[in-house]
Amino acid sequence: MVVNLQRPRQGICGWRGPARVLLTAVAALGVLIVPWAQAQKPSRDDVQAAYLYNFGKFVRWPEGAGRGSMVVCVAGDDSFGRTIGKLVEGEQIDGRPLTERTLDRPDGVGACSILFVGATRGNEAESFLAATEGKPILTVGDAPDFIAHGGMIQFVQVEDHVRFSVNLEACNRHSVALSSELLKVAVTVTGKAGTGGAR
Amino acid sequence: MKPGSRSISAKLMWMNVVVSATVLVLAVMAFFFYDLVSFRQNLIRNLTTSAQIVGANSVSALTFDDPQSAGTTLQALRSSPDVASATLETNDGTTFASYQRAANVPLPVAMPMEAGTEDQAWVKGTHVLLAHRIVFQGKPAGTVYITAELNETGQRARQYLLIACGVLLICMVAGVLISGTARKLVAQPLVALAETARKVSRERDYSVRAAEHKDKDEISVLVEAFNEMLVQIQERDTALNRGREQLEARVEERTAALRAANRELEAFSYTVAHDLRGPLDAVQGMVYILESLDREKREGERGEILDHLKLATRNMASLIDDLLNLSRASTAALKKGRVNLTGIVTQIAEDLKRGEPERRAEFMIAQLPPVEADEGLIRVALDNLIRNAWKYTSRHEGACIEFGAINRRGETVYYVRDDGAGFDPKLNDQLFQPFHRLHSRSEFPGTGIGLATVQRILARHGGRIWAEGAVEKGATFWFTLKSGTSVTA
Repeated sequence: MVVNLQRPRQGICGWRGPARVLLTAVAALGVLIVPWAQAQKPSRDDVQAAYLYNFGKFVRWPEGAGRGSMVVCVAGDDSFGRTIGKLVEGEQIDGRPLTERTLDRPDGVGACSILFVGATRGNEAESFLAATEGKPILTVGDAPDFIAHGGMIQFVQVEDHVRFSVNLEACNRHSVALSSELLKVAVTVTGKAGTGGAR
Repeated sequence: MKPGSRSISAKLMWMNVVVSATVLVLAVMAFFFYDLVSFRQNLIRNLTTSAQIVGANSVSALTFDDPQSAGTTLQALRSSPDVASATLETNDGTTFASYQRAANVPLPVAMPMEAGTEDQAWVKGTHVLLAHRIVFQGKPAGTVYITAELNETGQRARQYLLIACGVLLICMVAGVLISGTARKLVAQPLVALAETARKVSRERDYSVRAAEHKDKDEISVLVEAFNEMLVQIQERDTALNRGREQLEARVEERTAALRAANRELEAFSYTVAHDLRGPLDAVQGMVYILESLDREKREGERGEILDHLKLATRNMASLIDDLLNLSRASTAALKKGRVNLTGIVTQIAEDLKRGEPERRAEFMIAQLPPVEADEGLIRVALDNLIRNAWKYTSRHEGACIEFGAINRRGETVYYVRDDGAGFDPKLNDQLFQPFHRLHSRSEFPGTGIGLATVQRILARHGGRIWAEGAVEKGATFWFTLKSGTSVTA
């Protein structure tokens, strides 16, 4: 290397030695950084959004409920709502087009098929859940006490994986049937399978 | 069991076994290859079904990123013994979960699937790789790869071989049992036939017969043909024996005849020598006397001695003539032609009458048609017979000699009859023997050869001669010229 610097032979390298070393180092860094950035694990939000969308494939709503488009509601969180919105755009489940709606207040839950209540909503979660009472709406949350408050599916973090638990009692109460396939991959399942459950 | 039957029933048994073994081997081969093909197809179908079930059960695990659950699902493949290993891949080609039947079993190597297909199978040697694309809600959720080993083929071949050997063993036992029946049906009649044939050839007994076969098949035909052959052999054997006996009898007969002829010849030679000696002695004696008479010149006795000499030489000459006739009658070739018997007899009669004109004898000669014969010999025969009659009637006044013929049972029988001295019928069989004389030479002159000559001549013409007579009551000589022929007109 030293020999090379002292006795530059080629014309195209009219640059000074240190400058050339720097350039090479930057280029090498760039080559390393770009695939690393691409292979980066999806964020917790992305995973939860994908799961939320996929839950729709494993849920059977009672007859007559939710004709037309399947509405995925997000309680208040604009950022997560946007992620969902991008994910479900143009998608269909069982021939029903998917739409996303971000709710600021619990009184709009009536049109929802799936309602996500994030942990950041705090006490609001309970009022959202209360609003779904008696309605066939799949409620999903990531608060640690979401199921305790009557939610149906609660995201849990197992090591660095996003997993979920299921409250079949709540599902039965709202006449929302979960596929046994879904229950199979759930971390915990509480309550007994009712008419809609399979486990 | 008799020695021969073992081989033939053994052959039958082996035939059964070989036929069934061949059929069995071919059948097993056919079944084996059919099974091999259908086994592969079934295997691929089973693998596809397994892959589809695994795929359907892995959808949620893939969707919710739960490799552990997917692994549990894959472990269910353990119940399917065909599956060696399996992997579950996500859409981006990373392995999500895998299953190995044993630690040393390699994992499936993913192959790119053709677009538009959900299931695809590859067969490489004994490896089968099956891919199943998991589609959920119209979207690909991942891919299941399953590998299986076809090495179960060898195991199946062994099973087939085992079954084939078992069936072959049963076939052999059945073959042994069946060969008992076959022996009764096929081997035993053959063995019985062979035993009969052996007995026939060993004991030369052609009266034995092979036992008849109940069924009308080739064996019964064989038995019948064999028996028929034995019948023919027996007949020929009998005929041969009879022929030999006849031949022996004939040889004995001929030997006896030859011996008799030989004796006759000896007697003949002796008689000839003796009879020729007689006149010769007389001649010698007379010549001696004649010499002595010459010296004493006694003319008166000379003429008498010369008469004796003449008589002796005439007797000798006639004896020699008769002997020549007898010899000719026996040996001369027959020269046949038409012969008028009546003419010959008439001529002889006239000669005789001319010779002794003082005798008062009458000839009665019948007119007979001509016959086929040797004229010279017949003339000698008739001459002998007529002269005989003439001679033996010489002491009877007004003798009658008759020549004629009668037809008896379609045969012409000639006769010469006289009313002369006749003969003792008890001596009938000596009449025709040479040198046998029934009368003394002093009574009737003769050599005793004439009738023997006649008999020879007639015998050469195929005829015979016999005589009837009584002492002093005449004699009749009957003769035929050819046995069984009638007179030709």
